[in-house]
Amino acid sequence: MTTTAVPATSTTTEVVGFDQVTKTYGTVRAVDGLSLRLHPGETVALLGPNGAGKSTTLDLLLGLKQPDSGSVTVFGTSPREAIVAGRVGAMLQSGGLMDEVTVAELVKLSCSLHPRPYPVSDVLARAGITQIADRKVNKLSGGQAQRVRFALATAGDSDLIILDEPTTGMDVSARQAFWATMREQADQGRTVLFATHYLEEADAIADRILVLHRGRLLADGTAAEIKARAGARRISFDLEGTVDEDALRALPHLTSVTVSPSGSDRTVRIQSADADATVHALYRLGVYPRNLEVTGLGLEQAFVAITEAEEAKQS
Amino acid sequence: MNSLIKLELTRALRNKKFLFFSVLYPAVLFLIIAGNADDTRIDGTGLTLATYMMVSMASFGALTAVLMGNSERIAKERESGWVRQLRLTPLPGRGYVLAKTAGAAVVSLPSIVVVFLAAAVIKHVRLDAWQWLALTGVIWAGSLVFAALGVALGYLASGDAVRPITMIVYFGLSILGGLWMPSTTFPRFLQDIAKWLPTHAYAALGRAIEQSQAPHTTDIAVLAGYFVLFAGGAAWLYRKDTLKA
Repeated sequence: MTTTAVPATSTTTEVVGFDQVTKTYGTVRAVDGLSLRLHPGETVALLGPNGAGKSTTLDLLLGLKQPDSGSVTVFGTSPREAIVAGRVGAMLQSGGLMDEVTVAELVKLSCSLHPRPYPVSDVLARAGITQIADRKVNKLSGGQAQRVRFALATAGDSDLIILDEPTTGMDVSARQAFWATMREQADQGRTVLFATHYLEEADAIADRILVLHRGRLLADGTAAEIKARAGARRISFDLEGTVDEDALRALPHLTSVTVSPSGSDRTVRIQSADADATVHALYRLGVYPRNLEVTGLGLEQAFVAITEAEEAKQS
Repeated sequence: MNSLIKLELTRALRNKKFLFFSVLYPAVLFLIIAGNADDTRIDGTGLTLATYMMVSMASFGALTAVLMGNSERIAKERESGWVRQLRLTPLPGRGYVLAKTAGAAVVSLPSIVVVFLAAAVIKHVRLDAWQWLALTGVIWAGSLVFAALGVALGYLASGDAVRPITMIVYFGLSILGGLWMPSTTFPRFLQDIAKWLPTHAYAALGRAIEQSQAPHTTDIAVLAGYFVLFAGGAAWLYRKDTLKA
């Protein structure tokens, strides 16, 4: 048993695999034919408006729900097997805490349940809850409870960490401290998947973003790619007199145009994938834009643009 | 799983209200009921009131610990999401229910012993050494039937409903089963119903030992039947809840 070669398996490079996964509640398709792969070491943000299927996706990934069809694998096995092997640490919005016990007792329990636990004091320190270790769990503020949940998710050496809206209830400094800790986890080669409402968090932290909408994957790429897809730049200017709106709409590389108000002095807002070309073409129309501004599009606007475009397509 | 049992125990022992009701309350109730009892024998049993009530109250105490300990907590923790959180750990699915039941069983043991002590020291109940041991063992083991019922109720009801439902079941079984007063004082039709209740069979096991008899096979069969029913129901409800969560 000394020099046995490690057999190459097809699953070694795949942390999470969803294949055509569907989950229906009554008439609502919470997850609709979802396929995706997560690879080792990635930090992935899961974005989507409310009801997009984020929570259901995480529940399916963790084996808390079973798909109606399709398959979910984690490290090549079932989600439950991966959890039993201690490879997954997870923190859910809906995850409750045992009350009437202290923070330290609860963390100690989590450590003792993990096959490769960290020392309790390390876990407390990393989550920033050493000072409240002796406090009863039911006496915690929302932000403190979130940090305790984080401690439970990182009680042992897991390879995949799942976080559902992890910074809800935290103030700005706690949020920054939280993500600093999270980056350390990612830097140690762990795969991190987090769902969030705060798009700036996704922009700053994730190296890959999944945009979920009505249970389907609408976009999958880096923050830069998603911004580019939504129209990377916003151009705005004022126009005097009457203007041919159809001509504006015919400008190259546009992703959207809005003209307001529809009087004589009007402000035009354009989103464009190639601002230089669009502006060049604008001058060639023979109009004289005033107060011309070209700004980069934030992830938030990109996200709104992508999901709105999808809504428009479906209605 | 041991660490969860240990934590459940720490918590149970810290909960003064729960401890009072499950450990001291049955003994206090025993002293009140058997307070000015003389040596009159209870009809059809040949036992003194103190001896008779000792088994009733020990059974009642064990019932309190396991039924109340399980149902309300499980319902509450299902709702708070703690049960869900535990499913994100390597703890096996049944581990939670087992830990809850083990935790309750550890509290039920002192409640039995305290009633026995009160009976022996204050009411001078005298039994052979084997009878004390057999009584403790039988009442403790029999409480598992009600632990299973507690689990079933915890998965059946939720929120505000679980407490009244548990209370109705708890008092109904206790009173009709003859734990509070000998069922021989009941009207005929109630006695006929009481005979088939698990609590009646439960207390009858202990009384048979007090009468130096082996427990009756009917009582064992009734209890075993209820255990299968409650445990089966608990398992079914548990699985349903797991798929839903």
